[in-house]
Parts: sequence; structure tokens; C-alpha cells
Amino acid sequence: MPPLKNTSLTGDCPHSGPIEQVRYGCTLGALASVIAIPGAVPITHCGPGCATKQFHALSGINAYQGGECYVPSTNMGNREVIFGGADRLDELIAATLRVMEADLFVVQTGCIPGLIGDDVESVVNRYRRRGAPIVFADTAGYRGNNFTGHETIARAIIDQHARDYDGPKHERLVNVWSLLPYQNPFWRGDLAEIRRILEGIGLEVNILFGPASDGVSEWKAIPRAKFNLVLSPWLGLETARHLETKYGQPFLHVPAIPIGARLTGRFLRDVASFAGLPPEPVEAFIAREERDYYLYLRDFSAFYAGCTSQYRLPSQFVIIGESAYTLAVARFLADQLGLLPGVQIATENPPDTERDSIRAQFANLAEGVHADIAFIEDGFEAHRRVIESDFTGHYPVVFGSTWEGELAKRIGAPLIEIAHPATDEVVLSRSYVGYRGALQLLERTYTAVVRESTVG
Amino acid sequence: MALNLKVPQAETREQRLGTIIQWDGAASQLARDSAFTHGCQKGCDNGGRRLCEASTPFSQASMCAEQIAVTNATIIQESVVIQHSPIGCAASQTFTCRYYRDLAERRGWKLEDPKAICTNLIEQDMVFGGIRKLEETIREAWERHHPKVIFIAASCASGIIGDDIESAARSLEAELGVVIVPLYCEGFRSKHWSSGWDVIEHGILRRLVSREGKKQPDLINVIHLGGPDVFSPLLAPLGLKTNLVMGGSTLDTLAQMSEAQATVTMCFVLSYLATGLEQDYGVPEVKAPLPYGLADTDRWLREIASVTGRQGNVEAVIAAERERIAPELERIRKALAGKKGFVAAGAAFAHGLLVVLRELGVEVDSAFSYHHDPASDSGDPTQDTLSNLVDGWGDIPNYTVSPDQHFQAHAALQRSKPDFVVCRHSGTFASLAARMGIPVLPIFYSNDGIGYQGLITIGRAILRVLPRRRFYEDVSAHSRFPYQKWWLEETDPFAPIIEPA
Repeated sequence: MPPLKNTSLTGDCPHSGPIEQVRYGCTLGALASVIAIPGAVPITHCGPGCATKQFHALSGINAYQGGECYVPSTNMGNREVIFGGADRLDELIAATLRVMEADLFVVQTGCIPGLIGDDVESVVNRYRRRGAPIVFADTAGYRGNNFTGHETIARAIIDQHARDYDGPKHERLVNVWSLLPYQNPFWRGDLAEIRRILEGIGLEVNILFGPASDGVSEWKAIPRAKFNLVLSPWLGLETARHLETKYGQPFLHVPAIPIGARLTGRFLRDVASFAGLPPEPVEAFIAREERDYYLYLRDFSAFYAGCTSQYRLPSQFVIIGESAYTLAVARFLADQLGLLPGVQIATENPPDTERDSIRAQFANLAEGVHADIAFIEDGFEAHRRVIESDFTGHYPVVFGSTWEGELAKRIGAPLIEIAHPATDEVVLSRSYVGYRGALQLLERTYTAVVRESTVG
Repeated sequence: MALNLKVPQAETREQRLGTIIQWDGAASQLARDSAFTHGCQKGCDNGGRRLCEASTPFSQASMCAEQIAVTNATIIQESVVIQHSPIGCAASQTFTCRYYRDLAERRGWKLEDPKAICTNLIEQDMVFGGIRKLEETIREAWERHHPKVIFIAASCASGIIGDDIESAARSLEAELGVVIVPLYCEGFRSKHWSSGWDVIEHGILRRLVSREGKKQPDLINVIHLGGPDVFSPLLAPLGLKTNLVMGGSTLDTLAQMSEAQATVTMCFVLSYLATGLEQDYGVPEVKAPLPYGLADTDRWLREIASVTGRQGNVEAVIAAERERIAPELERIRKALAGKKGFVAAGAAFAHGLLVVLRELGVEVDSAFSYHHDPASDSGDPTQDTLSNLVDGWGDIPNYTVSPDQHFQAHAALQRSKPDFVVCRHSGTFASLAARMGIPVLPIFYSNDGIGYQGLITIGRAILRVLPRRRFYEDVSAHSRFPYQKWWLEETDPFAPIIEPA
């Protein structure tokens, strides 16, 4: 094992070291992704606390997205650990099909069946052969985290439920792979905004997760899409590559989710060009959106210029969060508002193979603006980097999770919660991306700034 | 049966107490059948019928003992908890952080995040073992925070791969000179999460209680589930100083438990600690029903006065308290007249809340208990809270034992159709009741219902939530549950699901 300590201010943390201030779930936590698909229900084969713990951490207290947990579970005990749990799972699936109603069941395993060697696949396959809408995903907790688990469940549904397809492609249909549901507190509103702007330029969208999705029917329609859009630094790439091989669907990878008119316009033009859409309707949509957006921005500029100049408007931003939002927000702040990047930390342990491309994104946040991104999962180490960094002459602002509350106080900065866990935000449909989301992000950020300067 | 504090692992409560997690019927029947567990054998008035656990092929995600043990270790001040587990087990720390900060605010502690580190076991650790990682993490915890105690919590994964936590704890304790307390709380070990209380209390009894302190003549240990100190106002007039433990403790309060005159427990689900203090430290446990409702609070105070030799003014204290709350109690009773309530909570705590509702004049015909202990660790019949409820306040015809199972709770609420629900562990039950259009009072801090003031606190809280029915009914009319129609109409939580082969 490599040494656990890293005393420098640059570089990443060693892989799989100890983690203080947990910022994601385990592989089984991808059950939240299943719950995010309207009409889908996970069936969990794991210990008694595993499924609720994941769901409550990711949803219940993370921006209070909803805590009602009815996930079937074998709640494995001594008996199953000693004698095997496949029979109990068999019984649970039979009972679930009698009691629950869903378009799709996803059987997920936790650590215990992985370690004791239950043959879960055979059990699930028996039900599939009888026509039950059920698939199996190996999500043993120690295999990875809820990000990698997300791709595992996507793959399981595609391969076992969407099935083979070589019919005609629907010319304007796109599958979107973007934010991790529930993990990101704003995913519901964000996916709705992403769907809205893509439909605005003339596409039809399988958004696949959340209230803006039609649910399991969208998953069945995945093979008919013309292409896949991966709108995140790395999450979804594995799925898109798989779909490319499986259905011959090309994919467009846009690492930075666009926030604000400038970046969103560029994004929509790139997508339109990739999809071969006629430019006129695209430009018309962008113009309509920009008209609204810039009216608000014009009015905000009075505040920003200092009509109430007693406030300490931030000049430097620190972001600690999953790479998707860290990158998206950093771009917006640097490119749209002219703030300078301070310490930037991605907390979700992206695969080694994708890290260089993420670094490249940060190296060119906006014209002439360079930032370093460190990959650090351990909150203690992340905070050390921030505390020891240089704020000379700056007013910092922190974007992060609830764990950054103490840090923000310590460096005298306002905190805007954008990452898991966000226990000081109640989020329903709020979005921070695209055109409309950018305005809400401005509202929330500068409300925090004003309160920081006036209260306490 | 005596607790065995010589071994590192606590026996589970199904082994010690015969705990069950599935049952449905009249509370009076459950109380009678439980008596068998006390060893009454053929002398039982039900003819020696054994307590028989129900079963159902369908089950939903529940909670584990690890979460209870870890949460309650984490909220002990000046500690670091190391979860020797894959990262998912640590997910609950985001909740615990909120909980700790709230406690800190209420108790006037320093407002800071609690300290917990996960060893983050991954696949290769499952193959090669995770002990080296654990040792490095212990050193790291020490270097980062210099805690006064380090807890190491086991997990399902570390338990199955057989990591020798005990040896690691001993060698690092010698190396670093800090107390290291292993917690054997693998989730699969017990079928009920409340075993987690026993695990943390076992660790406290073995390592954190002082054997050297002098007796303090006015000190009384109060073991509670968590929340603000509602005990000092009751006990101070008797000249007693409250040593409030569990549910957020300082190491000093835990150490000085051996110096107290007596121990009272606010929920017999936590009876392990009090029994251990009596057995190993000679601190007597007050044997009285829990202080819910007027009469039982009277008895509770008299018993405390008797055990600590402070009978002098206890009757005056009782009379003054009763007089103080009488007008408000009357107002609340009038406002709640004709209302029907439903209680969902864990065993003894549920029984206490049921007494409160009946004292408030609320009709209750149904309750939901997350588990059932046929006995408490002391084995003393005065701690049989279910019999106390049935004998003192009448039967509960529909009494369901279920570990917070959403589908069973749905059936139980369909059967009862209450005007409101009072519940603990608010994740499943509270959200469910709300979505069924029923106003719900979630109890986060379980001390809310205790003593004379508890009647007022709970009564007022119910009156605050009743008007929200319009919100819940609106939501209920516009959302649905993922159950089949036949189950949505079912009113028996244990209705057969799969026909016998």
C-alpha cells in the first residue's frame, strides 16, 4: 500500500486510502439510480441496513430529496451468511412479484452475497425466463462506489431489458448520460433543463432518470436513438462506449455541463452540429433564450457593479465536489463572472484513465484562465489543501457540501452547497445548469454573499 | 442471565432476551406469551404458550445494528470512530454529523463536526485482508485528531473476511497510548438494529467506566436515547444531580457512571448498560415503570427517592408538578377529544408513547413496534412495559411487531385509519403516513414524552400537526405506492403472500 500521507499542496490522494467525511455511497448505492427511473424498483440482496443507509444518505438527508424507502431486501443474517442466501432471495423475488407493481425490477447485490458466493444470476435468470421484467446487477459494496455502480445498473438494464435491436434509428432521438441521480442534489431540475434545451433545438430526448423522464419506456427506446450524449467529465462514457459497440450508436462527449448563456449556446451548437440538425431553428431557440437571460443579467449587473458596494463580493472560488459540478460551476464562474479559481477538488474518485482529460478541462477553464484539479476523496486532506492555500488579496467563496461548513467559516467565506451531502439545502426542482439554472445559481450564490456580509 | 463483560463481543438480544421482530395480534396476548420467556413455564395463565415469531416471505430494507452502534459512538465527544468497512457503511455519517451538531447546539458543546474515518475497504482488501489498512487508519486518526478514545466498528465485510480487529486494537493501543474500543456490530449478526445499543454499551462498560472514582452522594445516571435534558428539572428538586449518558455523552459523564447512587433508564431497549452497571460496578438500577403519564411518573419519582434515600419532599414535588401542568393538560385533552392516534416506535418507547396518548384522552386501538423484547436484561417484572401498559391502560387490539416494514405499516394504517400518527425512526413510517394523508408527529428526540411536562410537549406537538392534514391529503390524492391493488387494500400486515405449495 502506498503511504497514506501527502504533505504537498498538489497532487492526488492515494487510491483507496481512508476517507474522513464521506462524500459518496458504495456500489450498492446505485439503487438510487434505479429508484430514479420512474417505474423501476430495486430488489436488494444484502445486509439489513445496507439499502436504507444508502438511500437515506443519498436522498433522505441530501437536500431532503425524499426519504420514503420501500426497497425489497433480503436483510441477510447469520443464517444466510453461513448457509448461503440464494434460497432466501428466490423467496423474496417471488413475494415481490406478488406484492409490488413495477415496470422493471433490478436485483442488486451487496457485500455479503459477493463474499459468500451466492449464485444470484441463476436465481434472477429463472424469473427472466418466465417473462418477469427483472434484471441482475452485481453491486457488491466493495467493488467501487455509487458512480461505478450507476454504470453497472445501466449496463444491466441495457443488456438484459432493452435487448438486441438492429432496426432503423430514430433520426432525432438522443440518449443523455449526465449527472448522477440523487448524489447531485440538483439532478432533477438539471435533467429537466437539459431535456428542455435539447428539445428546444429540435431533438427528442431519452433523459432516462427523474421526473422529466418517461421511465422504463425510455430505456426500451435506447437502441432506437441516433446517438448518445455524454454530458459529464467521465460518468456515462463506459455506457456510451458499450452502446457504440452494441448498437453502432456514435456518441458525443461534452465534459462540462453548460451553465450560463455563453457556454450553453456553444454546447447547443456543438450538439446540433453532431446531430446534423438544421441551424435556423437552433439559432432561433438560442436567441430566444439569450434574450431572457441577458435581461436578467443586465439587471444583476447593477448589483455586481456595486450599487450596494458594502458587500464583499467574492473574487476567488474554491470548489470541492464531484467532478461534473466542480467543472461546470468552475467554468461558469471563471468564464461568465470573471472570478479566479482557487483550490479545485474532485471528490468522487474518477477512473485513472479519465483523469488527464479532466485535468485538461481545468487547465483551460476560460480564455487565459488555468486551474489545477486535485482528485481527493478524503475531506480532511481536501480541507488542509484549502486552508494552506494562498488567499492574499482575495475574498474567497466556497462551493461544496455540508462538510465544508467549518472550512468556510475558518477562511471567512460564504458557502454554497452544491455537492453531496447537502444537509443545509432543501432542493425540489431547482436547477443550476443551462439558461434558467444559471440564474438560480447566481441568486443562491449572491444571497449567500449578502447574508455572509450582513448576518453574523 | 448475567451479562458477560469479560468477552469483547456482546451477545445479541435475540440470544439474551428472545427478541422477535415479527408478530401481530392483541398486546395482551403478546404480554402473556412473553411471560414464558421469563421462565414462568407452566405457571403462565395462557397455559405456557410460547412466544411464536411470525414470518413473511416479503421483506423490505431495514436498519442494522452497525448504524446504531456507530452513530452512538460517533456522538461521544473527543472520540474518533473508525469504520472498518467498505465506504457505503460510512454513508450514515452525513446524518450523524447533522445529529451531532444539533446536540452540540442544544447542550452547549463546541459546535463542530464529529470525527469518523472509514478504512474504505475495496476488492483487493477482501482478498488479502484489511488489517494493515486498519492499523494505518488508526495511526492517521491519532495524528489528525489526538482523540481520547478510538472506536473501531466492524462491518459485514470485515466480519466475513475475518479481520482480527481485536489484535490490531491491542497492539495500536500499546503503541499510541490511547484507549481503543472495538465494536462488534456486523450487520448480519443480529436480526434487529437495537442490538447496536448493546454493542456500544458493552464497549463503554468494558473500557470507559472508571473503576477508581469515589461515590458521589447526589449523582444519578440517566440513560437515554438522545435529546435535551428534561430530567434535571424533575430530579433537581429531590437534590439529585443528573448524569445524562448515551444519546451524546462526554467521556467524563461515562467514566463517572460508577460513582452514581443509582441508574435509571429511559427506554429499556437500552437496559444493557444499567444492568451492567449494577452487575459489575454495584450501582443499583431503579426498578420502576418508565415515567410516561401521571401515575407512572409518580411511581418513578417515588422509586428514585426511595433508592437514593430522598423521600423527604418527593410527595411535595409530585403534587407541585401535577398542579403546574393541570390547566394546560385539561386544555389539550379537550382539544384532542374524539381523536384517534397511532403509535410506531421501538418496544418500550412505543409503550411509553401509548401511555401518553391514553393519558391525553386519545383513542388508540393500534400500534406498531419495531421489535419486541420479551424480557429486559434485569429480568425484573417492573420493567415489563407492555404488561404495565395493558394492565394500567387496557389492551391494544392491533399490536404489530415489524422492523419498520413499509408494506406492513401500510396495512396497519389501513386497518386503523387514525387521525394522526406519532412515530420514531421517521424515514419510513413518517413519510408513509404522510403520503396516506395522515398527519404525523415524528419524534426525533425521544425525551419529548417523558414526565409531567412530556404530556404537554407531546400534546401540543400533536395539535400543531393536525392542521397539516390538508397538505397530506392533497399529496395522497395525487401520488401512489408501488404496490399491487390487492396489497393496497390489505389490512392485515401478515396476510399470506405466497400460497403454500
